Amino acid sequence: MSIVFLTVVLVLAVASLTLKKSIASLISFALMMLVLGLYYIFLDEKLLGLFQIFIYTGGISVLMLFGITLIGREYKPSRKNPWTAFVASVFFILMVTLFFNNHDLLVFDNNINVEDRELFVKSYSDFVIIFALIASSLLYGTIKMMSALKRKRDV
Amino acid sequence: MFEIDIVFAFALFSIGLFGISSNKDFLRIFFSLEMLINSVIMILASSAKYLNLADNLPLAYMFIIIATLEAAVGILIFAAANRLTNVVTPDELNEELSQ
Repeated sequence: MSIVFLTVVLVLAVASLTLKKSIASLISFALMMLVLGLYYIFLDEKLLGLFQIFIYTGGISVLMLFGITLIGREYKPSRKNPWTAFVASVFFILMVTLFFNNHDLLVFDNNINVEDRELFVKSYSDFVIIFALIASSLLYGTIKMMSALKRKRDV
Repeated sequence: MFEIDIVFAFALFSIGLFGISSNKDFLRIFFSLEMLINSVIMILASSAKYLNLADNLPLAYMFIIIATLEAAVGILIFAAANRLTNVVTPDELNEELSQ
Protein backbone atom coordinates (compact mmCIF):
# COMPACT_ATOMS: atom_id res chain seq x y z
CA MET A 1 0.00 0.00 0.00
CA SER A 2 2.78 2.42 0.89
CA ILE A 3 4.41 1.82 -2.50
CA VAL A 4 1.20 2.94 -4.22
CA PHE A 5 1.07 6.16 -2.14
CA LEU A 6 4.72 6.94 -2.72
CA THR A 7 4.64 6.19 -6.46
CA VAL A 8 1.69 8.58 -6.84
CA VAL A 9 3.66 11.22 -4.89
CA LEU A 10 6.71 10.84 -7.16
CA VAL A 11 4.61 10.99 -10.35
CA LEU A 12 2.86 14.15 -9.12
CA ALA A 13 6.23 15.67 -8.12
CA VAL A 14 7.62 15.14 -11.62
CA ALA A 15 4.38 16.45 -13.14
CA SER A 16 4.49 19.63 -11.05
CA LEU A 17 7.96 20.41 -12.42
CA THR A 18 7.33 19.47 -16.06
CA LEU A 19 3.77 20.62 -16.82
CA LYS A 20 3.78 23.77 -18.94
CA LYS A 21 0.71 25.47 -17.49
CA SER A 22 1.34 27.06 -14.11
CA ILE A 23 -2.12 26.35 -12.72
CA ALA A 24 -1.94 22.65 -13.70
CA SER A 25 1.50 22.53 -12.12
CA LEU A 26 0.15 24.10 -8.93
CA ILE A 27 -2.76 21.62 -8.77
CA SER A 28 -0.29 18.78 -9.21
CA PHE A 29 1.86 20.17 -6.36
CA ALA A 30 -1.18 20.50 -4.06
CA LEU A 31 -2.29 16.93 -4.86
CA MET A 32 1.23 15.69 -4.16
CA MET A 33 1.19 17.29 -0.71
CA LEU A 34 -2.31 15.91 -0.06
CA VAL A 35 -1.24 12.35 -0.89
CA LEU A 36 1.89 12.78 1.25
CA GLY A 37 -0.29 13.94 4.16
CA LEU A 38 -2.58 10.94 3.68
CA TYR A 39 0.48 8.70 3.71
CA TYR A 40 1.55 10.16 7.08
CA ILE A 41 -1.95 9.44 8.41
CA PHE A 42 -1.63 5.91 7.00
CA LEU A 43 1.66 5.62 8.94
CA ASP A 44 -0.33 6.44 12.11
CA GLU A 45 1.22 9.87 12.50
CA LYS A 46 -2.08 11.71 12.38
CA LEU A 47 -0.99 15.10 13.64
CA LEU A 48 1.89 15.35 11.17
CA GLY A 49 -0.43 14.28 8.32
CA LEU A 50 -2.99 16.91 9.25
CA PHE A 51 -0.21 19.52 9.55
CA GLN A 52 0.97 18.54 6.09
CA ILE A 53 -2.51 18.75 4.55
CA PHE A 54 -3.55 22.01 6.23
CA ILE A 55 -0.27 23.87 5.73
CA TYR A 56 0.86 22.64 2.31
CA THR A 57 -2.39 21.83 0.53
CA GLY A 58 -4.23 24.70 2.16
CA GLY A 59 -1.72 27.41 2.97
CA ILE A 60 1.25 27.24 0.65
CA SER A 61 -0.79 26.32 -2.45
CA VAL A 62 -3.04 29.36 -1.96
CA LEU A 63 0.06 31.49 -1.39
CA MET A 64 1.53 30.22 -4.67
CA LEU A 65 -1.79 30.97 -6.38
CA PHE A 66 -1.53 34.57 -5.15
CA GLY A 67 2.02 34.63 -6.50
CA ILE A 68 0.85 33.43 -9.92
CA THR A 69 -1.95 36.00 -10.04
CA LEU A 70 0.47 38.80 -9.09
CA ILE A 71 3.37 37.83 -11.33
CA GLY A 72 1.58 36.19 -14.23
CA ARG A 73 1.34 32.76 -15.74
CA GLU A 74 4.15 33.07 -18.20
CA TYR A 75 6.17 29.86 -18.40
CA LYS A 76 9.90 30.21 -18.86
CA PRO A 77 11.53 27.24 -20.61
CA SER A 78 14.03 25.19 -18.66
CA ARG A 79 17.73 25.93 -18.71
CA LYS A 80 19.59 23.76 -21.14
CA ASN A 81 21.91 22.05 -18.68
CA PRO A 82 22.12 18.35 -19.57
CA TRP A 83 24.22 17.61 -16.48
CA THR A 84 21.40 18.44 -14.01
CA ALA A 85 19.53 15.15 -14.58
CA PHE A 86 22.84 13.30 -14.45
CA VAL A 87 23.87 14.93 -11.16
CA ALA A 88 20.44 14.21 -9.62
CA SER A 89 20.61 10.54 -10.72
CA VAL A 90 24.17 10.14 -9.39
CA PHE A 91 23.11 11.70 -6.09
CA PHE A 92 20.17 9.29 -5.80
CA ILE A 93 22.27 6.21 -6.59
CA LEU A 94 25.02 7.32 -4.20
CA MET A 95 22.64 7.93 -1.30
CA VAL A 96 20.77 4.64 -1.80
CA THR A 97 24.08 2.74 -1.96
CA LEU A 98 25.36 4.44 1.20
CA PHE A 99 22.09 3.73 3.00
CA PHE A 100 21.99 0.03 2.15
CA ASN A 101 25.70 -0.40 2.94
CA ASN A 102 25.14 0.94 6.46
CA HIS A 103 21.69 -0.56 6.94
CA ASP A 104 22.86 -3.07 9.55
CA LEU A 105 23.72 -0.28 12.00
CA LEU A 106 20.05 0.71 12.40
CA VAL A 107 18.02 -0.59 15.37
CA PHE A 108 14.36 -1.17 14.58
CA ASP A 109 11.56 -0.98 17.14
CA ASN A 110 7.93 -0.94 15.98
CA ASN A 111 6.27 -0.76 19.40
CA ILE A 112 6.60 2.89 20.26
CA ASN A 113 4.14 5.70 20.70
CA VAL A 114 5.26 8.77 18.77
CA GLU A 115 2.13 10.81 19.50
CA ASP A 116 3.54 12.26 22.73
CA ARG A 117 1.93 15.66 23.07
CA GLU A 118 4.49 17.11 25.49
CA LEU A 119 7.48 16.12 23.41
CA PHE A 120 7.87 19.52 21.77
CA VAL A 121 7.73 21.34 25.11
CA LYS A 122 10.26 18.95 26.66
CA SER A 123 12.70 19.03 23.78
CA TYR A 124 12.45 22.37 22.02
CA SER A 125 11.04 25.01 24.35
CA ASP A 126 14.56 26.41 24.80
CA PHE A 127 14.82 27.04 21.07
CA VAL A 128 11.74 29.21 20.72
CA ILE A 129 13.84 32.37 21.05
CA ILE A 130 16.07 31.16 18.18
CA PHE A 131 12.99 30.57 16.00
CA ALA A 132 11.81 34.08 16.83
CA LEU A 133 15.23 35.46 15.84
CA ILE A 134 15.15 33.55 12.53
CA ALA A 135 11.64 34.80 11.77
CA SER A 136 12.50 38.40 12.63
CA SER A 137 15.70 38.31 10.54
CA LEU A 138 13.72 36.96 7.57
CA LEU A 139 11.18 39.76 7.91
CA TYR A 140 14.00 42.32 8.28
CA GLY A 141 15.60 40.95 5.10
CA THR A 142 12.30 41.24 3.26
CA ILE A 143 11.82 44.86 4.30
CA LYS A 144 15.43 45.75 3.35
CA MET A 145 14.99 44.04 -0.01
CA MET A 146 11.81 45.97 -0.71
CA SER A 147 13.40 49.28 0.22
CA ALA A 148 16.45 48.47 -1.97
CA LEU A 149 14.18 47.72 -4.90
CA LYS A 150 12.19 50.90 -4.31
CA ARG A 151 15.41 52.95 -4.27
CA LYS A 152 16.45 51.24 -7.49
CA ARG A 153 13.17 52.19 -9.16
CA ASP A 154 13.39 55.80 -7.98
CA VAL A 155 16.88 56.09 -9.50
CA MET B 1 8.63 -0.09 5.58
CA PHE B 2 11.51 2.12 6.62
CA GLU B 3 13.69 1.21 3.62
CA ILE B 4 10.95 2.14 1.13
CA ASP B 5 10.40 5.45 2.90
CA ILE B 6 14.08 6.29 2.79
CA VAL B 7 14.49 5.37 -0.88
CA PHE B 8 11.40 7.44 -1.66
CA ALA B 9 12.82 10.39 0.30
CA PHE B 10 16.09 10.19 -1.66
CA ALA B 11 14.10 10.05 -4.92
CA LEU B 12 12.07 13.12 -3.91
CA PHE B 13 15.26 14.95 -2.94
CA SER B 14 16.81 14.10 -6.33
CA ILE B 15 13.72 15.36 -8.18
CA GLY B 16 13.90 18.58 -6.16
CA LEU B 17 17.62 18.92 -6.91
CA PHE B 18 16.93 18.43 -10.61
CA GLY B 19 14.08 20.95 -10.54
CA ILE B 20 16.02 23.62 -8.70
CA SER B 21 18.97 23.44 -11.08
CA SER B 22 17.03 23.19 -14.34
CA ASN B 23 14.10 25.61 -13.98
CA LYS B 24 14.00 29.35 -14.50
CA ASP B 25 10.48 29.90 -13.31
CA PHE B 26 10.12 31.21 -9.73
CA LEU B 27 7.11 28.96 -9.14
CA ARG B 28 8.92 25.77 -10.03
CA ILE B 29 11.97 26.80 -8.02
CA PHE B 30 9.71 27.14 -4.97
CA PHE B 31 8.12 23.77 -5.72
CA SER B 32 11.58 22.20 -5.86
CA LEU B 33 12.57 23.81 -2.56
CA GLU B 34 9.44 22.43 -0.92
CA MET B 35 10.27 18.98 -2.30
CA LEU B 36 13.76 19.16 -0.77
CA ILE B 37 12.31 20.11 2.62
CA ASN B 38 9.60 17.44 2.37
CA SER B 39 12.11 14.69 1.70
CA VAL B 40 13.87 15.62 4.96
CA ILE B 41 10.51 15.68 6.79
CA MET B 42 9.78 12.23 5.37
CA ILE B 43 13.08 10.86 6.73
CA LEU B 44 12.40 12.43 10.15
CA ALA B 45 8.85 11.03 10.29
CA SER B 46 9.73 7.52 9.23
CA SER B 47 12.77 7.36 11.55
CA ALA B 48 10.50 8.51 14.40
CA LYS B 49 8.11 5.71 13.56
CA TYR B 50 10.49 2.82 12.95
CA LEU B 51 13.72 3.63 14.83
CA ASN B 52 12.32 4.82 18.15
CA LEU B 53 13.60 8.36 17.53
CA ALA B 54 10.46 10.11 18.75
CA ASP B 55 12.34 13.41 19.16
CA ASN B 56 12.40 13.71 15.39
CA LEU B 57 8.67 14.27 15.10
CA PRO B 58 8.55 17.72 16.74
CA LEU B 59 11.56 18.58 14.59
CA ALA B 60 9.43 17.68 11.55
CA TYR B 61 6.67 20.05 12.73
CA MET B 62 9.28 22.76 13.13
CA PHE B 63 10.55 22.13 9.59
CA ILE B 64 7.03 22.50 8.21
CA ILE B 65 6.64 25.84 10.00
CA ILE B 66 10.02 27.09 8.74
CA ALA B 67 9.17 25.95 5.20
CA THR B 68 5.92 27.92 5.35
CA LEU B 69 7.76 31.00 6.54
CA GLU B 70 10.36 30.61 3.81
CA ALA B 71 7.72 30.26 1.10
CA ALA B 72 5.76 33.26 2.39
CA VAL B 73 8.83 35.51 2.55
CA GLY B 74 10.15 34.28 -0.82
CA ILE B 75 6.89 34.92 -2.63
CA LEU B 76 6.54 38.30 -0.93
CA ILE B 77 10.04 39.34 -2.06
CA PHE B 78 9.44 38.13 -5.59
CA ALA B 79 6.00 39.72 -5.86
CA ALA B 80 7.43 43.04 -4.59
CA ALA B 81 10.32 42.79 -7.05
CA ASN B 82 7.91 42.06 -9.87
CA ARG B 83 5.74 45.07 -8.98
CA LEU B 84 8.73 47.40 -8.83
CA THR B 85 11.00 46.22 -11.64
CA ASN B 86 8.66 44.10 -13.79
CA VAL B 87 10.95 41.06 -13.81
CA VAL B 88 9.61 37.50 -14.02
CA THR B 89 12.57 35.24 -13.23
CA PRO B 90 15.26 35.28 -10.51
CA ASP B 91 17.97 35.62 -13.20
CA GLU B 92 16.37 38.80 -14.55
CA LEU B 93 16.06 40.15 -11.01
CA ASN B 94 19.75 39.46 -10.43
CA GLU B 95 20.68 41.31 -13.63
CA GLU B 96 18.40 44.20 -12.71
CA LEU B 97 19.95 44.57 -9.27
CA SER B 98 23.53 44.30 -10.51
CA GLN B 99 23.15 47.16 -13.02
